[in-house]
Amino acid sequence: MAETEQINMSVKIGRLKLKNPVMTASGTFGYGEEYADYVDLNKLGAVVVKGLSLKPRAGNPPPRVMETPGGMLNAVGLQNVGVEAFISEKLPFLRKYDTKVIVNIYGENYDEYKKVTRKLSAAKGVHAVEVNISCPNVKKGGLSFGADPKTAATVTRKVKEVTDLPVIVKLTPNVTDIAAIAVAVEKAGADAISLINTITGMSVDIFTGRPHLKNITGGLSGPAIKPVALRMVWQVLQNVSIPVIGIGGIMNAEDALEFLIIGAKAVQIGTANFINPQATMEVIGGIKRYMEMTGIKNISKIIGTFKA
Amino acid sequence: MKNVYIGEILKNEEIAQDCFLMRVALHVSFPDPAAGQFVMVRVSGIAEPLLARPFSVYSFERQNNSCALDILYRVLGRGTQVMAGLLNGTQVEILGPLGQGFEIKQNKKNIILVGGGMGVAPLTYLALHLNNYMCSSFSTMYFYLGAQNDEALIGVDELKKLSCTAITCTDDGSRGEKGLVTQILLKDLKKFSPEETMIYACGPKPMLKALAKILRKTKYSCQVSLEEKMACGVGACLGCAVPVKSRNSKPAYKRVCADGPVFDINEIVWK
Ligand SMILES: Cc1cc2nc3c(=O)[nH]c(=O)nc-3n(C[C@H](O)[C@H](O)[C@H](O)COP(=O)(O)OP(=O)(O)OC[C@H]3O[C@@H](n4cnc5c(N)ncnc54)[C@H](O)[C@@H]3O)c2cc1C
Ligand SMILES: Cc1cc2nc3c(=O)[nH]c(=O)nc-3n(C[C@H](O)[C@H](O)[C@H](O)COP(=O)(O)O)c2cc1C
Ligand code: FES
Repeated sequence: MAETEQINMSVKIGRLKLKNPVMTASGTFGYGEEYADYVDLNKLGAVVVKGLSLKPRAGNPPPRVMETPGGMLNAVGLQNVGVEAFISEKLPFLRKYDTKVIVNIYGENYDEYKKVTRKLSAAKGVHAVEVNISCPNVKKGGLSFGADPKTAATVTRKVKEVTDLPVIVKLTPNVTDIAAIAVAVEKAGADAISLINTITGMSVDIFTGRPHLKNITGGLSGPAIKPVALRMVWQVLQNVSIPVIGIGGIMNAEDALEFLIIGAKAVQIGTANFINPQATMEVIGGIKRYMEMTGIKNISKIIGTFKA
Repeated sequence: MKNVYIGEILKNEEIAQDCFLMRVALHVSFPDPAAGQFVMVRVSGIAEPLLARPFSVYSFERQNNSCALDILYRVLGRGTQVMAGLLNGTQVEILGPLGQGFEIKQNKKNIILVGGGMGVAPLTYLALHLNNYMCSSFSTMYFYLGAQNDEALIGVDELKKLSCTAITCTDDGSRGEKGLVTQILLKDLKKFSPEETMIYACGPKPMLKALAKILRKTKYSCQVSLEEKMACGVGACLGCAVPVKSRNSKPAYKRVCADGPVFDINEIVWK
């Protein structure tokens, strides 16, 4: 018991101090309240909420989800209550907890990103923003902001201009050169980078000849994407010096430790929450047991110990 | 704090072709499910299927130091195939009971249950509930149950144990009345006064859609239990969207798992 007390799992993402490196991934944990009966939110490093836009969004018609080998496809279509309803209806609940609240945001154009960020910066109880740049840039014919270093950098700069909150930029894996995007957002002032978002995929019902998802394509998540996520996080880490948060297919503590060992300062748990509502707690417990087992007292002694 | 329950399979029998009855023993602390609620079922320790699958509560019994949950399921794809192969003693993870069940209105004299295929499951549990707890407040209960043919007509024997009038129908006339369950209901509907009648329905989407059409310009109250593909089952992923009517006629969705699975039939957009 005495030994356990000494274990230090806290990490720093720039100015943002977390009690442990485990957060929830945006879109997989609602606004926190959906899982509050299953998880003591106080024990999480941070809660990252569903991506918010300036105005509420209805999202895509169903079917929106489909299981595929080792994962799932989703085409929720960024359904959300809008930033104002979030601040008035969802944030007061989260404020009651002793955890960090990271708000994931997206926009259709630069102005929307700025407006959402401004509103959040004025609200009490938001500790950081995570900028989703995987969504389509309407002006550029739907190509995602995150697919081009220039647009990725511009979004980052616009958001940084209007806030003092730490800004985490969340990268899309649907690019040819992830390192170039990471370098561009770092130069544009990002405080941290998180990756990966979902990988675009599709699946077909052979009996009807139709796509399983109404939207035809969707984002792949879950254990199937972990090796890709790990590779991309590693590539980014070799090219930037700001903190990196690893996301993608993390199901348990072993998966999380792989990301920490290659140098991620923290991790996010997504699809695993659906399979086990207590997945985040099991990851935290598992990392702690690993530290006890290996005699490591401080988590910083794990992060970045990768021997290539 | 709520938990995922680890249940143990007591029984997993094929009661008709591709149709199974699974009984799962659960810890006493498992809450009493309301009629119309569902559970998410996952086989412990396996990678595929990854996501849990939703099933209605078909029956629930509480003993002194444990409880038993029954689900009735049809084998359709990977998840239900794996379930069908499970032996007694296998552990399954049960999340629930989940969702908003049927609303019971004390002032309705006539109860009409309309089920198609596996839709019989939540309605049988509801009928049992009404029998046990509400017997004085309503006078008649009719159970319209339809399927393609005699083989596919599941759960009729259970209905016989309840105090309700069961009307069975098959598309090919191999058992009971010949025709779609909604057509048979339509023939009888005028016997029931709209103000004093509550209709509860669960079944394939085309059946519910036909029912919505029949009831559209009437004053009958009707609650339907819907199905949609799910990932989380608790309202977090927004995967299980169902289109609902909105004031400005712009698209709007509710979550089958958390806002439903039971909805007022008039709330849904039946495209
Ligand atoms: C609230 C709720 C309660 C349910 N209760 C029951 C029940 O009591 N008994 C029962 O047998 N089933 C019930 N279902 C449906 C059940 O969840 C699906 O049949 C099951 O998830 C199929 O899993 P699978 O992996 O075998 O099939 P998949 O591989 O997921 O799908 C196989 C085929 O079935 C179709 N399918 C899958 N899920 C559904 C669905 N929800 N509705 C219509 N078609 C579907 C697919 O389009 C595909 O063609 C319920 C669903 C919900 C949402
Ligand atoms: C249903 C669903 C909804 C998601 N919504 C968002 C979102 O709103 N914003 C965002 O940046 N990422 C979103 N994601 C991506 C996840 O946050 C995460 O990056 C991805 O799922 C990979 O992690 P995982 O494999 O652990 O799920 C969503 C993922 C899923 C499965
Ligand atoms: S299944 Fe996740 S919101 Fe309904």
